[in-house]
Order: sequence, then C-alpha cells, then structure tokens
Amino acid sequence: MKFRELRLKGQLAMSFDSEPMDAAFDRRQFIRASAMAAAAAVAGITGPALPILGDESLTGVNWEKAPCRFCGTGCHVQVGVQGGKVVAVAGDRNAEVNKGLLCVKGYHVGAALYGKDRLRKPLLRDGNSYREISWETAISTIADRIQAAPDRFAFYGSGQWTIPEGYAVQKFMKGGLSNNHIDPNARLCMASAVTGFLATYGVDEPAGCYDDLDACDVLIMWGNNPAEMHPVLFSRVIDRRSRGENVLLIDIGTRRTRTTEACQHYLEMKGHGDLAIANGIAHLLIKNGTWSRKFVDQFCSFKAPDDANPNLHGKAITFEDYKALLEPYTPEHVEALSGVSADKIRMLADLFGNPSLKITSLWCMGMNQHTRGTAINSMVHGIHLLSGHFGSPGNAPTSLTGQPSACGTVREVGTLSHALPGGMVVTDAQNRAKAEELWRLPPGRIQETPGHHTVKMWESFCTPTDKGGDISTIWVQVTNPGQTLPNLNKLFNPKGDNKAGLEDKFLIVSDVYPTATTRLADLILPSAMWVEKNGMVGNSERRTQQWFRMVDPPGEARDDCWQTIAVARELFNRGVEGMKDRDGQFLFDIKNGDGAPVPIWEWEHYYDTNVDEHLFEEYRQFTRFKHKDLAPYGEYVKARGLRWPVVESDGQWQETRFRFAEGFDPYVAEGKEIQFYHSSTHDDRAQIWFHPWIAPAELPDNDYPFMLSTGRVLEHWHTGSMTRRIPELSRAMPGAYAEMHPDDAAVYRLRNADRIRVESRRGSLIIPVWIDGRGKPPKGTLFIPFFDETLLVNDLTLDAVDPFSKQPDYKKAAVRISKVPS
Amino acid sequence: MIASLVVTLDRCHSDLHRTMDEIASLPGVEVPGPEGLQYRIPILIDSSCPDVLEERTRQLQQIPGVAFVDVVFVHFEDESGEIPGAPSERPTCHEL
Repeated sequence: MKFRELRLKGQLAMSFDSEPMDAAFDRRQFIRASAMAAAAAVAGITGPALPILGDESLTGVNWEKAPCRFCGTGCHVQVGVQGGKVVAVAGDRNAEVNKGLLCVKGYHVGAALYGKDRLRKPLLRDGNSYREISWETAISTIADRIQAAPDRFAFYGSGQWTIPEGYAVQKFMKGGLSNNHIDPNARLCMASAVTGFLATYGVDEPAGCYDDLDACDVLIMWGNNPAEMHPVLFSRVIDRRSRGENVLLIDIGTRRTRTTEACQHYLEMKGHGDLAIANGIAHLLIKNGTWSRKFVDQFCSFKAPDDANPNLHGKAITFEDYKALLEPYTPEHVEALSGVSADKIRMLADLFGNPSLKITSLWCMGMNQHTRGTAINSMVHGIHLLSGHFGSPGNAPTSLTGQPSACGTVREVGTLSHALPGGMVVTDAQNRAKAEELWRLPPGRIQETPGHHTVKMWESFCTPTDKGGDISTIWVQVTNPGQTLPNLNKLFNPKGDNKAGLEDKFLIVSDVYPTATTRLADLILPSAMWVEKNGMVGNSERRTQQWFRMVDPPGEARDDCWQTIAVARELFNRGVEGMKDRDGQFLFDIKNGDGAPVPIWEWEHYYDTNVDEHLFEEYRQFTRFKHKDLAPYGEYVKARGLRWPVVESDGQWQETRFRFAEGFDPYVAEGKEIQFYHSSTHDDRAQIWFHPWIAPAELPDNDYPFMLSTGRVLEHWHTGSMTRRIPELSRAMPGAYAEMHPDDAAVYRLRNADRIRVESRRGSLIIPVWIDGRGKPPKGTLFIPFFDETLLVNDLTLDAVDPFSKQPDYKKAAVRISKVPS
Repeated sequence: MIASLVVTLDRCHSDLHRTMDEIASLPGVEVPGPEGLQYRIPILIDSSCPDVLEERTRQLQQIPGVAFVDVVFVHFEDESGEIPGAPSERPTCHEL
C-alpha cells in the first residue's frame, strides 16, 4: 500500500491508494488520514501536517494545545474535543520538546479523565463510612479546623499543582496564615537536585536544556532510566543514531533496564557507588592533567563540607586541598567502593578529559533519592566544571524531574517550607520584606522560621498531640502521600489506627480519584484535572507552559485553586486578619475591567475572569529577583512554552536556552564568557565540591541480606491513581512484583510468579517474583515498583533523609525474603 | 481507536528489511509509507479494541532492529462515555 498526498480545503492530508479520495471520504477515513499524515510528518516523510487537525468542520473535533498531564518532560499535545469530551490526542508538531511525538502513556492521557470512579461530591467521614456534603459545608469545615489551631495546620502539595494553584496556597499559608508548614511531594523526588544547584551555582535549576540532547557526543545517565521514564527525550537521542550520528550512551546504574539495552556501556554500581565514581573521575582528571585549567581558573572555586558547622555552602578550600582530598580515590579504590571496574573509571575520566567531546549528564531519582543526594548532585556538576564541559550546547549537567510542574510550581513558586516565590527564602529578612511588599502585607506578617519539611510534617501528624505532634490538620492537594511517603507504618498508617491516639487529627484530601490517601481522609474534595481547568506548569528545562480549560469536570468536582481561595474567603468573612492585606482588602481580590471585585470564591463566578492570569501576573513580579524572569501570560498563550529567563528585546520576548553563557543568557555581561551571577561566593564563580564516599544509611547484613530499590514502570505514572484506571495499561501491567536475580531465586527455590514475603525493619509485603523480567537487578538486590496501591512497597522503605535537602532514600533498604507456600 | 506511531529502526541492525517485514506482518498494523528502507517508519493502527493498540506497540518494541516506538496520534472513538474503573469489567478483545 502506498500513500499519496491529498488536499482538502487547501490543507495537506494523506490518503491511501486503496481508499477513495472523493466526497465520500468519510469521517473515519479522514481521521485515519489525519493520523497517518501526523506520523508521516513526524517521521520526516512529508511536510507539516497538523493544520489538518484544526479543521473542525470536517471531523467535528476542535483541537487545542496543552502540555501532557503526566511526567516532567513537558511534551505538548493537541487535545481533540467533541461534544464536551476529549476524544483524541496528538503529539504537537509545533512543540520543541517532543516535535510531534508522545510516549505510550500518550495513548491514554485523555482517557485518564474518564474513570467511572471519579470523585464527584465532597465527602465527610462518618465513622467507618462517608456521607455526601455540600461544598459550603466542606469549606466551612476546613475553615473551622484552621481557625481552631492555625499554627497546627499544614498544607501538603505537589509538583502537579499548576503554577497558579501553588502560588495561591503559598500566599494563603505564608502571607495569610503566617504559617510556613507548606511542603510538596517534590521533596520526595527532587529536593536534592535543588540543593545541588544551590550549593554549586547559588541558584536553582539547570543551566542547559533538552537541546543538549541534540548536540552531545556522549550522554551519561547516572542512575537514570529515561527509556521508560522520559521516553520522548530518550527517543530524541535514538533518532539521532537512526540518522547515522554517533552518540555514545553510558548507563551508570544499579540494575539493567530498557535504557541499558540502548547503551554502549553499562556500569553496574553498588548503592552510593556514584559518590566514589565521581571522585574517581576527578582524581584522574587532575592526575592526568586533563582538567580544564582555563575554565577552573576563570570561573570556579573549591568547597568541602564544614564538619564543625554543617551547612549547605560548606567551607572554602584551595585547589591543592581538593587534590589532596581526592588522592585516595584511585581507580582501584573506586572499584572496591562502587563495584565498577577501574578500567571503566579510566574510560569515564578519559571522556571528560577530552575537550573536543560534548558531554551531557542526565539524572533523576537515582541521584536525588539518596541520603547523600546533595553531595552527589554537587559532585556531578563539579566534574563538568572541572573538565570545562559546561556552558556550550551539548555540554551540560542536567537533572530531570518526574512531575509536570516540580520546577514551575515547587522550585520557582517556592512551595517548600523554607521558600518564597522567585527563589527567595523565609529566613532572609530582605526576602520577606520583598514578598510582603508585593503581597501588600503589613511588615512582619511572614514568619522567618521554616515550616516542617515533608517527613517532619507527617511524623508530627502521626504523633499524638500530647507527645509533641504539633500538626493536627493537613490539607493534601494533587498528590498521594498514603502511597509515596517512605516508611508508611511510621509516617502515614498510624492515622488509620484507632489505638494510635490520633483522634484529634484531621486529614483533608483534594483529588480526582479514590487513592491510598483518601482511604484515611476525614474530608474528601473532588477536584478538576488537566484540561478540565486552566493551567500553567514548568518542566525540567525551565520551560513555562499554559493551557485553557476545554471540558467540564464531572459532578461537583472543582478546581483546586478555587478550593483554596474559597477557604481563604470564608476565613476573611469570619474576620481572620491574615486574609486581609494591609489595606483591609481580601488577599485574592480580583477586579474586573470596571474596577468592581469579581467574587471568584463563588464557583459560579470563578470563570468570570481568568484567575490563572491574575495570579500569574502577580507572581511574575517575584521572578525578576533571581533572574528567572517570566513573560506576560499572553506570551504563553501563543507559545508551546518559553524557557526562562524570558526578557523583552526589541519588542519580542526572548527565551534563554543556556544559562550563564555569553551569547545565550541575557544576564551575562559582555566579555565575561561564563558568569555565575548568583554565585554563593559573590564573585561570579561556581563551586567545585569535594565530598567523601559514605556508605548508605542501611546496608544488607546477616538478618536482612538483600538491598531493595524501588521505582517506576513504563505503563504507570507514579502511584497509578490515573493510569491504573485505564484498562489497557492495567492489563499490560496489572500489579507490582519483585524483580530478582536468577541465582538468588535458585537459592530460595523460586520460580516466576511464586510469592515471597519481603521484610524490612519497618514492614513486610507479600508479592510475586519476576525473574529475568524487564529490569535485571544484580545478585543480592531486589527491585519493587511503587505504582500498586494494593502492594505498598513504602511500608518497607527508610525515612532517613539527606541532611540538607531532607529528601529520603527510596533506593537502598535492607530486606530479607522468604517463600510463601502456595 | 485509531492511532499512528513512528517506529525508529536501529541503523546498526544487520537485517532491517526483515525488521520491516516483521513490522508489516503484525495484524492490524498498516505501514503505508513510501517503499524502500527508511529509519523512521510511520505506522497506522486501526482497531475497535483499544487493547490492540497497546499490544501492538509492545510487539513492535520487541522486534529485533526496532530501536524505539513513539506515539503520534490517538483517536479514542469512545462510545460509552466512560471507561470502566476495573479491568475485569471490560470484555475480552478477540483481535489480540
């Protein structure tokens, strides 16, 4: 069968020789032709094809743009809506991130809206069941809890909060309630990336972007599996190979994955082996004289931990100190610590020592969920700086995120317990004063003491009040801590234990589906999701993206942002001083074109104006303090996202691909070449860190001889609360399993699908075994994914955290196993 | 459901013609691109059973010589208005 071009209403489509191309060209054929035209265009066989999707008169489908709901890659999709329902999804050819492609989850991003158990009504716990209540009662109930103990109230949010949603909660908590107990689930996934950037450059987020993937000669993945977790990005590299380009792919990991299959080198390491490997590379760069003296002399300083006074910025050391500290990390010593052969360490050092190569490093949870996460993040930046592999296309150390707005909302809006919008912090008096000025608050409204970080927040919630548990109410939005917190038997499950002495504690959960978290909730609020509401998010490469509401949410489900503002208004109506600005106006006062207030706290008026636009324009003022400038809202309406800093030049809003590099970053002064203008040492220099290798927080021993790692799978996104409701994905990956090495299985006389009990010092789980499965863990290790709410691997994991980022380690817990008789 | 995909081939694979033949032989998969060896192949899958899309995608990924499979377009053509909450509620698809 051959294809041929077809013109319909002046637009390019495609048909098949076997099919008629006349007036009888029916709707289904038209959709087939559209689908094929889109794929052919992406494959480079024809020119642009997506305009055909816009012809509503032919298909009855109206197409609009939105970023995908799932991971942090930030793919743009075209969403087809017909009859008030999402009926089709296409990769957006105009989007630089994905250039028309989607991953397998793209099949189902639309279907994720339509699970039949969508929450549709507010529900209040009544003994062991729930009763439906009105929104008025729900809002009033929350206001009662806050008023009763405002300092014992906490907000637990998400990297899936849109930017306006997170900003509204940030202002409500820190600016309204003078309460810093707000933290997101992103604490569990990328907090160590943040502290790594801060410790190195003095400011958060990657300098490079996805364009580096198109330009690098070597791509090193540090504990990262992009083939399954960020497939569109990995596909971009594989596509370069298909066009005959040479790209060397190196996988440094603790188990073989689909990524490994595409790599020329797989370096299998032990847990925390990355710390030794990074030191081994630096050791050899110096020993071989292949470090970049020019780059280091001009742009870098050296740091080491300050053991006497542990802090994120450590103490300054000299190059000679750094060299001496690295001296023990010979390739052979690194081999002993990491399990990676000395020859492979030399190979890595030779690559970094070659200035003609362009090297990009990628990482995600492997380096972040690590009790030395800040250290290893800083060290990988350090290797790039020491070798001069920084600041030009293809030379970049780049962390990826797992949620659509972990960067845009959590890191930029600052929905962390210590942060303020725009990279500012509550501990800095000038920062607080700036926030109070922009929010028009009386001086001193914002508290200087950071609130509880995630682990501390939930520990406090699950500790009886009379035993020091100082959090009594948590409001959860857009996340599922009942499945994702580590050590659930300590940090979450006690809420459901009648004998735990937590009767006075109250859990509020806003979500779209029932989850492991709503199971223990006292109040459940039904939320709108994705294209049921307006939104803005920020992806892993500093790209801010926008979309409009396209369909109605089901039942009485409502926007999370509205929920927050409605509670704020209820408190305002009750006279709570914090809900007023210094002029006595409501914190979220929005006026229409005639200067009259729009009652956005009333649902029927929420969309009388674009609340997102109002909140974003207010938030945007914060972004200039740390050179993270965002453009006006309208610019994002026109674009498929823009990478900050976005500055106006000659009447055009220009994005920035590579930060700190002259010619790319508008804030780098002329002639500087590279300028780290937020340097923690205030001299435009980045910091190259030494950190010693330190063993994981828990190691296998005679009682618990296996090392357990956890993670994600291709078919399900995070806790599966959306993807497990999609029958095709659920059938493809119905339940969790324990991946195991065949030799270990033989010792325990296990075959595939046999059930084992996996026990840690914190909990146990009965789960089927998968030997020689998709992932291949080495002997002595197990891997269990966390998507299955019926098999909660986080009953087993550790709640030990990195000392600076406070991020837990989900990758290294000692466990033992036993066969469960069938 | 109607879906289109792009299959990226491994340029170093020894017998890509065989790879393309295997792709074209999958039931329900149409390869209507131009004849001759390409490294990025547009694919069309048209099925009344959503599971077929999922299964064919997986099968494509497993064919020797296939480096990657990306989704480009999906039209659900859903008539029920709602998908079942539990997999067991959905009838078995005989196209698989």
